[in-house]
Amino acid sequence: MKMNSIRTKVVVACLCCLAVGLGGILALIHFSFNRNTQNLATQAVTGAQSLFAISETREIRKMSALTQSLNLNPRIGDALLARDREHLIETTAPFFLNLKDDGITDFTFHTQELDPAVFLRLQDPARYGDHMDRFMDKQVATTLTMVTGNEMGRAGFAVRTIAPMFGSHGEVAGYVEFGEELGQFLNAMKSTTGDDYGLLLDKKYINQQFWADSNQTLNRRDNWGDSPNYVVWDKTAKFDRICDFKGDLSTLPSTGQALDHFHEGNSEFVRGVFPIQDVAGNKVGAIFVVRDITTFYHSMQHTELIFAVSTVVAVLIGTGIFLLMLSRLVFDRLERIIKIATSVVGGDFGTEIQVRSNDEVGQLEQLFEQFRQVFVDVLSHVPELQQK
Amino acid sequence: MRMRVEEKIKTDNLDAMAVKGKLGLKTGMLIALISANTPDKPESIAKFKLAAKEILNLSL
Repeated sequence: MKMNSIRTKVVVACLCCLAVGLGGILALIHFSFNRNTQNLATQAVTGAQSLFAISETREIRKMSALTQSLNLNPRIGDALLARDREHLIETTAPFFLNLKDDGITDFTFHTQELDPAVFLRLQDPARYGDHMDRFMDKQVATTLTMVTGNEMGRAGFAVRTIAPMFGSHGEVAGYVEFGEELGQFLNAMKSTTGDDYGLLLDKKYINQQFWADSNQTLNRRDNWGDSPNYVVWDKTAKFDRICDFKGDLSTLPSTGQALDHFHEGNSEFVRGVFPIQDVAGNKVGAIFVVRDITTFYHSMQHTELIFAVSTVVAVLIGTGIFLLMLSRLVFDRLERIIKIATSVVGGDFGTEIQVRSNDEVGQLEQLFEQFRQVFVDVLSHVPELQQK
Repeated sequence: MRMRVEEKIKTDNLDAMAVKGKLGLKTGMLIALISANTPDKPESIAKFKLAAKEILNLSL
């Protein structure tokens, strides 16, 4: 094949089209794949955020109902008012045993003061008398209405309610607090969705002593020193990178965001995050979501391969058909014109150029045939040739 | 020269019209018109030698 022939140029052009087309399709598939993984991560975040909000609301309602049921028994309020710890334990300890099965990890009575002190911790009765100095304690003492939200305590980072307890004469006897440790939420969410979750907290909102106490209460390693700014409260995944975060949690959008796509072993994952607020409205941390997209990933890879092979085959077949048509309609006929024209110059005056159609090449065939006839007629008058 | 070209065509069993046509197109002459009486023009002879070398690989 001559390098300067149109046929060669067409083949090169077709191969270039093949490469560009294939590259374009692969880029498109890659873009689509990235967008889909991003969507999956966003869906995981949105779903997790909704599920967390639903779980939080449900548990707050449960704890609110518990508070109301406690207030229906004036003996509890009276025992708190009388600072009768033994009687309070006797009345509420059996109750707490059942509540633990329902996920309640914190059941605490506080004294009725503007800076309430802990009067009784059902989960740790030996420790009392300390002032928690938390936002929600001060809030309930000021407003005398139920305060709900997430806050750190000595029994962990939990969704909590704290509300006034009343004595038999309607006077405020103190406050009762219920708390449900958020690690339980993560496990419940995992069993619902199959996704993995991790809770990262900002150290500047966490009391280090509370953190140490919580880990002791929950019999966990104190990981305070693992990272300079953040600390992992709990995670459902085995791998550590679930809570890997280098930015500033306070800048996270409240609707959350997709983070990245990564692989661990033979599996593919997407990751997202949404912030959580404490009772004072601070973005104290974030819940990370990791969704296994291995099936989707392999399916996309398979689709990518099918697209690539189909494109190559289609372009090759198209190129073949295109070249065949070009050969039949143009190249072969041009070669025949050139051959006959050369033969005429060489002395073969008898071979005619067949006009095969009235297309552009046909017009050229006709022109050459007319030219050949004129040429032969002129030569017939040349004396040297007449003699031959 | 013409005779040697004719010999070469015969020896190599080539298409005589095609070869003469190529030579004619290359030199700008009709080979059929060349005869013993054709006057020798140095320029035409040089062109013919060049064409014969190129097309038939024949040194004249």
